[in-house]
Amino acid sequence: MKNLFLLSVAIWAFSTAALAQDNPLTVVDVKSANPKPTPRTADGHPDLSGYWKGTRDTVPGGNIGKDLPGLKLPLTPAGEAALKHNLTATIDPESLCIIGGIPRHNASGLPFEILQGAKKVAFLYWYSYFRLIPIDAARKHSDDPDPSFFGEEIGHWEGDTLVIDSIGFKDEKVWIDENANPHSDALHVVERWTRPDADHIHVETLIEDPKFYTKSFKYSRTWVLGKPDEELQEYSCSENNVDKDHLGFGPGPIRPDGTRGYIDPAPLPPPIQKSPGK
Amino acid sequence: MKVRLSILLTGFLLAGSLPLLAHHSFAAEFDAGKAIRLTGALTKIEWTNPHTYFYIDVKEENGSVVKWGCEAGSPGALTRRGFKRGDIKLGDTIIVDGYRAKDGSRLIDARRVTLPDGRVVSGASAGDGGPGNQ
Repeated sequence: MKNLFLLSVAIWAFSTAALAQDNPLTVVDVKSANPKPTPRTADGHPDLSGYWKGTRDTVPGGNIGKDLPGLKLPLTPAGEAALKHNLTATIDPESLCIIGGIPRHNASGLPFEILQGAKKVAFLYWYSYFRLIPIDAARKHSDDPDPSFFGEEIGHWEGDTLVIDSIGFKDEKVWIDENANPHSDALHVVERWTRPDADHIHVETLIEDPKFYTKSFKYSRTWVLGKPDEELQEYSCSENNVDKDHLGFGPGPIRPDGTRGYIDPAPLPPPIQKSPGK
Repeated sequence: MKVRLSILLTGFLLAGSLPLLAHHSFAAEFDAGKAIRLTGALTKIEWTNPHTYFYIDVKEENGSVVKWGCEAGSPGALTRRGFKRGDIKLGDTIIVDGYRAKDGSRLIDARRVTLPDGRVVSGASAGDGGPGNQ
């Protein structure tokens, strides 16, 4: 018992040190009593530019139904069939180095970066993917846009909110989130991005997909600004994707907390106490 | 050394609180019911994305040598835990605790790596939903 207590104390003591030394991919959102004001561009709009990191209280991570009661997505019968197909007959597209698209990237735990210009905004993602969104209130969607993973995206400002309206999505090799939930080519996504202060960015995402969902639903999320020296690094997904020959279908069991993973795993052998060969 | 070991161990324990980040779900590739410990000499190091791989020769009880692959987190993930490319070289003996691939191949998910200098490092792909990394 004494050893257990000492171990607990050691863990507590070194937790702070470990976190302080590290640049974790997600952070605890510590609210400031005096938040710094929202930076603005020369034309007066909020500047969304920055390296943004998810917060630890965004749970369950990777689940597009995060904000729904019981995490229950309003699937149509066709949506239920598509989910079953994804779970039993598809490999996670992201693990095959296929673009995750929107709204999946908004539910990811990985940091991302925004670079904002006057007429275009760029979202840069961890896996070296990007999307470029024109900011043009006069632009209309195409009659028949080429299907893509991020869709045909058009941005415009509504006050201090950047609204991104997207249609024209692919309907194959797409999961709407980490849990293999589906979307169809009828997907329509409206993102409303705000930067309430210098250190936070927020999105409210409206998701409509009448083929696979009986009603529209929302997904909201806040990210925290990274440190000044943090930025995306090179990541070549297909450099050495040994996985692709070993991956099975679906994400594995979805746990009661709404995350993917295993339940009741076998324990690993106890850690080695001495350094080998010494 | 003791302090460094503790920090690394703590990082391993803390991984349990991280949200989902990974390139793929643990359960899509590995069997959480098949834990295994491998001790072997490094024959190949792939410090690559989306995962690093350590290939080791493992000597069986009958004297034969079997080649195994060990899949770990991305170079960036290992570096953030204090495990750098220069910490290992071909011929070094490492101990890898992990879980076997579901397809039966000689590939394991390296959840925990004991380095030649005795440090114990989490090799897990952060937030893949695997054991010890919810």
